[in-house]
Amino acid sequence: MGQALLWGALYALPLFVRSDFLLTIFTFTFIYGILAVTFDVIFGFTGQLSMFHPAVFGVSAYTTHLLVTLAGLPFWAATLPSAAAAVMLSVVVGSICFKFRLKTFYFAVVTLAFAEMIRLIVLNWNSVTNGTLGLVVAGKPTIYWPGHGVVPIKGPVAWYYVTLVCLSITVLLCARALRSWMGRAFAAIRLNEDLARTLGINVFRYKLLSFAVGNALASFAGGLYGYYTGYIDPGYLSINQSMEVLAMVLLGGQGTLTGPIVGSLVLTGLPHAIDLRAEVRSILYGGILIFTILVMPRGIVGTLGAWRARRVP
Amino acid sequence: MFLEARDLTKRFSGLVAVSHVSFSIDQGEIVGIIGPNGSGKTTLLNLMAGLLPPTAGLVVWKGRAIQRLRPDVIAAQGVVKTFQNPQVFAELSVFQNVQVASHLALKRRLGSWRGLEVLGAARPAERRLRERVSEVLTLCDLTPATNQLAGSLSYGEEKMLGIAMALMCEPELLLLDEPASGLGREEVRNLERVLDKVHAAGTTLCLVDHKIGFLRGLADRVIALNHGEKIAEGGPEQVLNEPAVIEAYLGRGHA
Repeated sequence: MGQALLWGALYALPLFVRSDFLLTIFTFTFIYGILAVTFDVIFGFTGQLSMFHPAVFGVSAYTTHLLVTLAGLPFWAATLPSAAAAVMLSVVVGSICFKFRLKTFYFAVVTLAFAEMIRLIVLNWNSVTNGTLGLVVAGKPTIYWPGHGVVPIKGPVAWYYVTLVCLSITVLLCARALRSWMGRAFAAIRLNEDLARTLGINVFRYKLLSFAVGNALASFAGGLYGYYTGYIDPGYLSINQSMEVLAMVLLGGQGTLTGPIVGSLVLTGLPHAIDLRAEVRSILYGGILIFTILVMPRGIVGTLGAWRARRVP
Repeated sequence: MFLEARDLTKRFSGLVAVSHVSFSIDQGEIVGIIGPNGSGKTTLLNLMAGLLPPTAGLVVWKGRAIQRLRPDVIAAQGVVKTFQNPQVFAELSVFQNVQVASHLALKRRLGSWRGLEVLGAARPAERRLRERVSEVLTLCDLTPATNQLAGSLSYGEEKMLGIAMALMCEPELLLLDEPASGLGREEVRNLERVLDKVHAAGTTLCLVDHKIGFLRGLADRVIALNHGEKIAEGGPEQVLNEPAVIEAYLGRGHA
């Protein structure tokens, strides 16, 4: 009920709020929301601290753009091969990590190393990626709008709704998967891998599935982000992105679907609201991470949930 | 023959935990494995369930060697093990614990069509499994604790939940690692009742336990281990009266 209200409010917001500044913050929130929610599928729900998210985010931003400009695909059609590329990368990296039974920090470090490897390839493959200078994304994705035909997505309100719909679809898909046997297998792996094995759960396969699904859905955020900002550079793949997404999930509440979106709103909104420089922003992220882990390890949504559960006997 | 162990050996560096053990379990039997601490009972069960690879020897299940298969594959083939120290998903409710264990049952019923369930279809199969979860909880006397977090259960209830989860995997052969250890008298009686029902429903049981009285009342056949070797096998009374078994338990001079 509460969640329906929240989503309703988000869909109704542009009817009342005319501020381009606010709508822009929300648009960034939604794109980062997709990234954070999908990261939480891997981290919060399956218990695998992946540092591979920025790689998928960056690679899909590049592939989507290159497929549009070089292969002439429409934006939405280009997102699908990008997602397929994300799945392929996930299968390669995930297979290696999970075959060797890497867990916790070992998994984090190895996925980080793979992400860094891909970042260096992107950085140095000048003929395709234009190196540090990055690529300017000139085109706009189009959508079909009844009465107007196929129109490019232009203006804060249009972007607000497109990204909100994408986030909604992502959350819906994740919610369905997590409520099924798939989600139960993920939870079993997170809570007790050995027990999961004796109950007939193929731990390797389900870890890989969680990793691939999370990354495939995250790839849409990459494509959207590139086209929304109009610019792609190797910074998309940096470790900072990992830290930001991790901070969003920890702050909002890991193991929930609303939490990462709340975390994304706070951490996207705050720096803009108080206009911070990049270095100060890093300090803010670090501070919030430390504060959250020490004071509310369940994050905002988790803490609220626990508080509500205590009040209702 | 249902399950057969042929010349099973397990070495941990210099220590021989199980040494050239051979035995078989027939369908519908209740087989007990006894032996003093450190005699290799748990290791033997772990070898049968695929939790440890043997150093040498075979575990043959329905004519196929399974000793190199993963535990989840062995569970899927019908051999399921419970743990000596109860293993549960502490953060989930009792119902959810057993529901997680319905993984194999759902797979058997829907196969690849399970994908539909993710999309919200195939609900009837899921609903029937939820009913089955409730039945298993009733069988194991856990209904009052259905919504309790597994982490807040008493030791005895946790052990019973472990058995409930194993039952939800629909085992043909259930391996129970010291199910009665640490339980009070009433809890042991309850456990016997549950195991009787499970056996009556067609599940073959293999139990490891210290409580000789518990096994005496339950097992058709008993295998005794000492220092990783099989020292006796036969009917419960016969094995418990074997001089080698008495000596292993009580020391030289009592045999």
